[in-house]
Amino acid sequence: MLYNIRHTTTYTYNSAVPFGRCVLRMFPRIEPGQTVMSSALSISPHATERRDSICFFGNRVASITIEKPHKALTVSVTSLVEVMQPGLVGLDVSQSWEVIRDEAADSVSLDPSSPVHFLFQSRLVPIEPTAVAYAMPSFPPGRTVLDGITDLMHRMKADFIYDPKATVVSTPLAQALENRRGVCQDFAHVMISGLRGLGLPAAYVSGYLRTIPPPGKKRLEGADATHAWVSVWCGHGMGWVGLDPTNDIFAENDHIVVARGRDYADVSPLDGVIVGSGGQSIDVKVDVEPLG
Amino acid sequence: MPNSRQLESQRTKSDRRARLLANYRPLAGVHDELVSPDGDIRPQWHALLDEWTNLAPGELTRRTALADRHLSDSGVSYRIRDEVDLDDMLSGERSWPMSHMPLPISEDEWRTIEAGVAQRAGLLEAVLRDIYGPARLISEGALPAAAVTGSPDYLRPLHGAAVPGGQHLQMYACDLGRGPDGKWWVLGDRTQAPSGAGYALENRLAMARAFPDLYRALNVERLASFFQGFRAGLVSGARRADPRICLLTPGPLSESYFEQAYLARYLGFLLVEGGDLVMRNNLVHVRTIAGLKRADVIWRRVDGDFTDPLELNASSRLGVAGLLHAIRQESVVVANGPGSGVVESRALMSFLPKLSRKVLGQDLLLPNIATWWCGQPRERKTVMDRIDEMAIASAFRADIRDASDGEPLIMAEQGADARAEMIAAIQTRGVDFVGQEVVKISTMPVLRDDGTLEPRPFALRVYATATPDGWRVMPGGFCRTSDRLDARAVTMREGARSSDVWVLSEKPVDQVTLLPPPDQIQIRRVVGNLPSRVADNLFWLGRYLERAEGVLRLTRTLLGRMIDADSRMPGQQDAVKRLSGMLVAWGAAPGARAPAMRQAFAALHGLDHYGSAAACIREAKRTASVTRERLSVDAWRLVGDLTRRLERDTDDVPTEGEGYETADRALRDLAAFSGLAEENMNRGAGWRFLEIGRRVERAITTCRFARQFGDQAAPAEHLDVLLDLIDSQITYRSRYLVGLAFHPVIDMVLFDEYNPRSVAFQIARLDAEVAALPSVRDDGLMEMPRRLSLKLAADVATSRTDQVDRAFVLTIEQRLMGLSEAVASRYFLQSGVDAPSPKS
Repeated sequence: MLYNIRHTTTYTYNSAVPFGRCVLRMFPRIEPGQTVMSSALSISPHATERRDSICFFGNRVASITIEKPHKALTVSVTSLVEVMQPGLVGLDVSQSWEVIRDEAADSVSLDPSSPVHFLFQSRLVPIEPTAVAYAMPSFPPGRTVLDGITDLMHRMKADFIYDPKATVVSTPLAQALENRRGVCQDFAHVMISGLRGLGLPAAYVSGYLRTIPPPGKKRLEGADATHAWVSVWCGHGMGWVGLDPTNDIFAENDHIVVARGRDYADVSPLDGVIVGSGGQSIDVKVDVEPLG
Repeated sequence: MPNSRQLESQRTKSDRRARLLANYRPLAGVHDELVSPDGDIRPQWHALLDEWTNLAPGELTRRTALADRHLSDSGVSYRIRDEVDLDDMLSGERSWPMSHMPLPISEDEWRTIEAGVAQRAGLLEAVLRDIYGPARLISEGALPAAAVTGSPDYLRPLHGAAVPGGQHLQMYACDLGRGPDGKWWVLGDRTQAPSGAGYALENRLAMARAFPDLYRALNVERLASFFQGFRAGLVSGARRADPRICLLTPGPLSESYFEQAYLARYLGFLLVEGGDLVMRNNLVHVRTIAGLKRADVIWRRVDGDFTDPLELNASSRLGVAGLLHAIRQESVVVANGPGSGVVESRALMSFLPKLSRKVLGQDLLLPNIATWWCGQPRERKTVMDRIDEMAIASAFRADIRDASDGEPLIMAEQGADARAEMIAAIQTRGVDFVGQEVVKISTMPVLRDDGTLEPRPFALRVYATATPDGWRVMPGGFCRTSDRLDARAVTMREGARSSDVWVLSEKPVDQVTLLPPPDQIQIRRVVGNLPSRVADNLFWLGRYLERAEGVLRLTRTLLGRMIDADSRMPGQQDAVKRLSGMLVAWGAAPGARAPAMRQAFAALHGLDHYGSAAACIREAKRTASVTRERLSVDAWRLVGDLTRRLERDTDDVPTEGEGYETADRALRDLAAFSGLAEENMNRGAGWRFLEIGRRVERAITTCRFARQFGDQAAPAEHLDVLLDLIDSQITYRSRYLVGLAFHPVIDMVLFDEYNPRSVAFQIARLDAEVAALPSVRDDGLMEMPRRLSLKLAADVATSRTDQVDRAFVLTIEQRLMGLSEAVASRYFLQSGVDAPSPKS
């Protein structure tokens, strides 16, 4: 599937800020199953300095400095991306979750895709005992890891309510879990905490969902904004499997990957440092157009 | 044959010795440093105890008091982390507890420790290079990847990055304890930002001062060469020949801030906070009053994760945005490397014996306490099988169950539930835990208040530094003794004391000092550039002190008028009303309805009134405490005296006379501070900002007095008050034999350049100091503050009293505030854009 994606973020400040610095992670990843034909950034006002780099996890990062007083900042990325995921074959060939756990702890690689980076608590995902207790019933002894995570995803869809008003970016996952409400970021963090608590490596993925559903299908939650889901390491054989607890589906050709990391802090689309006082408001627009 | 006097002295000595050791009972099953199992005094103690018992008890008390005084005078203290209140710069501060009995270690034994510590430092450096480089130890299976990634100090953005200066570790420390078998064991490694070296140095200076003869007689090895080596190592890593070295501190609230300030001063490094540093063109710069100055080397005491909000912890305010990029560009040396904390975990320690054989081809000279990381099935099983003999600890850091601060949990002491819970936790997430052998460490004597010795467990922190000629180990260290007999919990926060460590050389030691030979010293009158933050704080210190003085003068005058017999006269009553009105307007006292005595009390002691003298002094103390390394001990003490004088914990309103007395004394303290600043403080840029702050504030205060009491139509009582407020009664009366009149009084208050209290005097001084501040303009034009001060000085110098009315005075006051703002925005607030372009 070929997509044309426009992602625009606008900050409006109550008083002019003299200096701004921000870090952008808004360029789709180039990785197996996903081809990026083009990806272009435009910024207003003009950047004084721009530095592009690839972070440890392989995400494309642009660091921008603006040294001119401005009352608004608009950052826009337009990308043309083709997604062709083979998808999961019907047969579950994964091993039991306990085997996966020992395999992960025994890894001999520090490569960015090694499970060891996604095994421990991270900035926004503590190993929350309540999250672990919630995940536990999906993992009776001997169950395959794929079975376990699929079951956990189904349960989350049934138990949680998608509610953009319930949480903000900084809400701790324990609170979203207790209220059983939140958005994709919260669901991903809850699931990651539970899985890591059981010793299973789980990563945070940010990206987009196609906006217009295929004919006859329901529009997915989170389609008009940036989306987030989870990727779980299912052993050396299967590797990483993406699943979207917000929509109870595996991440395949409707999901476009922008960044991977341990949690939202590693992949947040726009981190900013501004010098100035007074309030600010933010507006995000995402448009994902399937070109067929 | 000894004569009778010698015999008597022998007897006294052996009596003293017996008394000293009367309560000394070594614990069963642990090694004791002083007494062998047979009850003999160990050889390395003989000379020390001999010299010690030579001193009469009174002499001994004098000596130990001298050592304590040295410590308290040097301002060496530390903070208790749990007691720190973020709004209070003075919270949780404790003076340094030192045990006066040093720990002697024989030269032979020390060589073993030295070799072991140096070996370990080299090993950890090699492991760090591998972890952040090719990671061969991991791919070859010698070190599990998860034993690395579990550490919050493993900084992924530094993977594959350059290591400017070629070393991850410039300073390494390890904690040692002596086991029951008499061998030294490594209890833990410190690679992040080892603290305590400054305390070791302080302890040494205090002991050497108190017991100079003892210290010389025992041939104690000196510490200075270690610090010399440390500095040489930092210098050799830098790219410029005469590098600027900064000590990056987390700030005055950090536990060991005073140690950091002390070391910065001792080593001649610039003490900076994250906010003092800024990136320009991929180079790190310090914001100073003379513009941006390049920083070549940063010795960091900020944890790695907090050093760069751009690539690491985005919420950090302690670091420098872009630092990691500068490291990759090799434009700055950061010591220790930001990622070096990864090798101080217990998980890593469990692999060190194996890694030593693999990397160095040698066994560890100093073994660490046996540790098993539960992330591996075989090791996990060992721990499970022997769990009752083990202590379970967090594999990487704090955060293990209910154990505070990652202190190991002794499983044999846990209840059945806690035990079962721990076993389950290890089975699910073994990667988070290690099992450790329960160690009992040896005891050493500490001096009790009654002058006898008692045994206490201790841990010894030993330091190694990477010099251009290899690892150098500090001959001595930071020894911490526990308050309790439990030989397992040794942490400063539990109120333990520290001891100096004496390595006893067989022959007289070389005198090494950090000072170069006299004929090689280059004469310098000015040292370095003042960081903008420090200038800011000194400026405000000056303003707060002067503001307190203004309030005290108002209050003293008010109380004086209330005591005065004429206070019923209408002119006097009006003056009293105006005085108390000013106190209210300045935020020093409650509303005008409150009785005058209540107002005066609030103005002196009312901490809940932001403008009161007590509140101003508290603010002054806060600003002084964050620049304490710039103030003399005496100046710091005076601020303390003022605080004690003005902070009252009772609500009893004193009599007018008592209040008057308090204000008067506090004013005398302030005069003493001015005297110290005037006579003892170096006329560097720091003094200049203190002076500018004081002059600005005094000029403004005096204008305010003049506006209230210096009207053309003011009655004599008002002019009398005005002269009181500016302390010029005697001068006036000696000059003018007639009574009080507007023109002569107002001339004395505003324009008289010979009167050190006049506005004109303050402004003339201000202009002179502002003129002496550095300029960063390269076009030769005047900087804004100087343009304002020069014009103001000229205008005031050429004005006459017949021009004066309230509006005239108000204009001067406003121009002073404008000048103050111009100084602030030029020298303090260098935000991203208005900062002058880099010049190094």
